Amino acid sequence: MGFEQIMAEVLKTLNFEFIFLIAAGVFIGLIVGALPGLTTTMGIALLTGITFKFSGHSAIALLMGLYVGGVSGGSLSAILIGIPGTPANASSTLDGFPLAMAGRAAQAITISRMASIIGTLFGIGCLAFLTPLLTELALKFTSAEFFLVGLFGVLISGALTGGDLALKGWIGGIFGLAIGMVGSDELTAWQRMTFGSPELFGGIPFIPIMIGFFGIPQVIEALTDEQDVLVAVLDKTKVKMKEILQYWWVALRSGLIGVAIGIIPGVGEDVASWTSYGVAKKSSKHPEEYGKGSMEGLVAAETADNSCIGGAIIPLLSMGIPGSPPAAVMLGAFLIHGVRPGPMLSFEFPAFTYQAVSWLLVATLFMRFFAMWLAKPMQKILQIKNAILMPIVTVLCAIGAYSLDMRFIDIVLVFFAGLLGMLFKQGKYPAAPLVLGIVLGPLVDTNFRRALKASGGDFSIFFTRPVSLILVVSIVLLILGQLGVFGMIRSWFKKSKPAAA
Amino acid sequence: MDESKVRLRALDVFMGLGFLAVGAFVAYDGFIAYYAPQLVTVEKAANPGVSTIFVGSLMSFLGLVIAVIGLLGSRHPFRIAKQAVADTIHSKAFYKGVIAMACIAVYFFVFWDRIPYVVSTFLFLAGMMAVFKAGAWWKIALISGITVAVVWYVFGVLAMIPLP
Repeated sequence: MGFEQIMAEVLKTLNFEFIFLIAAGVFIGLIVGALPGLTTTMGIALLTGITFKFSGHSAIALLMGLYVGGVSGGSLSAILIGIPGTPANASSTLDGFPLAMAGRAAQAITISRMASIIGTLFGIGCLAFLTPLLTELALKFTSAEFFLVGLFGVLISGALTGGDLALKGWIGGIFGLAIGMVGSDELTAWQRMTFGSPELFGGIPFIPIMIGFFGIPQVIEALTDEQDVLVAVLDKTKVKMKEILQYWWVALRSGLIGVAIGIIPGVGEDVASWTSYGVAKKSSKHPEEYGKGSMEGLVAAETADNSCIGGAIIPLLSMGIPGSPPAAVMLGAFLIHGVRPGPMLSFEFPAFTYQAVSWLLVATLFMRFFAMWLAKPMQKILQIKNAILMPIVTVLCAIGAYSLDMRFIDIVLVFFAGLLGMLFKQGKYPAAPLVLGIVLGPLVDTNFRRALKASGGDFSIFFTRPVSLILVVSIVLLILGQLGVFGMIRSWFKKSKPAAA
Repeated sequence: MDESKVRLRALDVFMGLGFLAVGAFVAYDGFIAYYAPQLVTVEKAANPGVSTIFVGSLMSFLGLVIAVIGLLGSRHPFRIAKQAVADTIHSKAFYKGVIAMACIAVYFFVFWDRIPYVVSTFLFLAGMMAVFKAGAWWKIALISGITVAVVWYVFGVLAMIPLP
């Protein structure tokens, strides 16, 4: 497809309808992101259910708008009330809220907004540039590589998001893979783990599980933990461009960190912002200011979590493997709307990557205006009691899940996924690997068996090709690293040195 | 190790055993497929049981490891669990959580499909807001009414979804 044809396709999806939907997505995203208790992932899951009657591309454009707005919106509550709207903005609270308490709320919001815009644009640039390259590479992949990429994704996601033990992340991912395998097998039509229920023959639907898993625990937690909210006053300080430009190096480095972490399957914005914050603090000339109201810290956190958006969409479009939990839910939405991400996307919808780039650019533009415009009313919105908000969220969870197929079983799934989500929270099991596991279950399963079938049952197929060998070595190193084997070897060497002396 | 960590490790014992059981079931389901006479013509490498045996065994193994870590970290998981349950039951947050789950369960399993959607949703919203003291009764009624009207209009009229 030539440049002109691609441009024509891009312009087709930049009409009034699309721009309006993207604006609506950003607006909803900013509110969802800003309200503590509602996350971007949950917002996308809810809106997927609501938009299933939209035409494919327009629903995806709306969801991308929500993704951009949601990640950015979380910083509003982080700065104004000291509670991050989404986990991705937790690091912004450390410096954003002290700045607001010092009477610099408007300045902090403007700086964080500019950092968000720089980060998002950086991520979009990488998305436009890297997706075709990665697609080229993915086209050379065989089933063995796809299986290993999927498995590596689940394991690294588990290792990086497991706050307590890496094992918990892994088991969450493996559990997700098992859930993803329920239903009729793609290769033989054999029914697996369906308990003879015809409603499970088609597999466990992804969206109701996501709505329940993310929505219900948040509702319960918010209702049991009602806090008095202290809202910072907005000052009228104007920020000069020079003030923002002095952090260009921090923004650039954080953008790179965000994109790199975004590309890693299932890790996402929160890890990106914490990593970037940590790196910025370590390399800062004034690390003592971090946590007390450092603009540099705020820029580092906000740039990274926003650039992660573009990064997370890169593996989604090129390999069909999402880079973050919101991207994982978006994958479900893509499939519902007839868009199958992966290397074949470049043949089915050759202009899709550039259409996505254009939607994200429009979303960034709206985010710039809405975020400042919403700052004042948000002071009021943030004071809405959870006792009012959460019952409404529950109603949206139910109708969002039900509207996909109009089946009562989806409501049942929302409830039980909610219970599972609460159990995971109590036990400190991360949600991201489970989501990734459910999404990648069919991919891992079918490619594992296809590879074995192609090799006549010979496992050497997983070691003999260069990419698969690299992936196998990475998986082994990852497992050994998380089990502390390298630490044990290092300490053994340290002990043996004095003995030898 | 602090108290919360010890309690977390005690919970790990039970959750680890839970994962062990689920993994064993997944692997068992895989073995059924692997030896199913209906799949005798399918190549063994392509048998659907292969993946489930792999995933189930891995889950069981990891579950066992987590249970062992939990056991080593908590030492007396049953005693700690008993204490934790007793403390939780007496906490206000637990009651609030149970009430919230009960409200949701009633809405999902009792109201849904039995009472017209608009009525059931209004009852749920008003009831839950009243239980959690969202404000004066007229405020609750107004918010519930507006929410139901918006949801009905967006889903029932605009999206043309046949509401239960």
